[in-house]
Amino acid sequence: MKTVARWLFIGLMPWTSALAEPSETIGHIQTLQGDAYVQRAGVDQPAAVGTELRQNDRIRTGKPAAVGIVLTDDTTISLGSNSELALNDYAFEPKQGRFALVLRMVKGTFSYITGQIGKLAPESARVQTPDATIAVRGTKLLVEIKE
Amino acid sequence: MAQHDPTRLAGIFRSTLQRTAWLAAWPLLLAACGGQSIILVADPSGHVGQAEVATAAGMQRLEKSGDMTQTRGASKPPSAVTTADPRSIATTFAEALAIEPPPPLVFTLMFESGTTQLTAASLDQVAEIVAASQKRPAIRIRISGHTDATGSDKINDALSLERATQVRNLLEQKGIPARLMSVTSHGKGNPAIPTPDGVAEPRNRRVVVIVH
Repeated sequence: MKTVARWLFIGLMPWTSALAEPSETIGHIQTLQGDAYVQRAGVDQPAAVGTELRQNDRIRTGKPAAVGIVLTDDTTISLGSNSELALNDYAFEPKQGRFALVLRMVKGTFSYITGQIGKLAPESARVQTPDATIAVRGTKLLVEIKE
Repeated sequence: MAQHDPTRLAGIFRSTLQRTAWLAAWPLLLAACGGQSIILVADPSGHVGQAEVATAAGMQRLEKSGDMTQTRGASKPPSAVTTADPRSIATTFAEALAIEPPPPLVFTLMFESGTTQLTAASLDQVAEIVAASQKRPAIRIRISGHTDATGSDKINDALSLERATQVRNLLEQKGIPARLMSVTSHGKGNPAIPTPDGVAEPRNRRVVVIVH
């Protein structure tokens, strides 16, 4: 019986560890105009106000369209038409002192306002564009990526 | 006949060549039209921070509101910092700026020492949070419990989580849907007033309610 329980436990381990991180909510859609999509594991879902966001999600807007998202540390990003953003890495765990924020702006227009990670651990907040990596300290940034 | 005029033929040949060269140059011109503009501006509270824009070939630091740098490929350095034209900012970023979520409402609640009992003043604030959330209307409400840097982390965290949960229950009783709310403990990792470890700071023992 003990052996069965142990094998069951070992069998479940990779499953639980695989679920632990990516299924966590890291933010949500706060504002929306027109059509926007959240791509998760290669599948596009239409975005709605309140839609939960997870690590590795990609947010895309149509044209004309615009969307505003808020992460759990209050980082705020808004996208204009024909824009695409990837939430590459995120951790906001003040109790464990674990912070990470890597946003990849793929194309379009963006307004980005830093949140609590920008205050508690500014060195871990990064914005990537096709050409550059941007380190941001407690502020707002506007980014345009032409195609 | 004009067709046999060697200079005329040469002219046609040359203009065809030019046209071909022109067409061939188009993709290059289009590529040159790409690139990125990065502009530093004040955040909604008026604070201007800093940004460092780095490519493989160089780095530029943006420090003042309106500071802008542009990139033209990852292997080229970002352009020298210029000042962005406010009118072109308003045009280029019209959609992104118009959809920008409004800043959250932030409420800080205090408790009687060592208990999950809200102080009288904070208890009054609960009704205020409910009214503000309904007016907004709230899309998400994040409730976080915080401790100071004294005593056992384990006991502190348990108490701060209990306090945050207590606040969530109060808000739910007063009509805020449970699905909008999430509760966490930040322990001593996100203090209102930073202190060295071991320092008692009652203002850090709090629950923060952030309404988005």
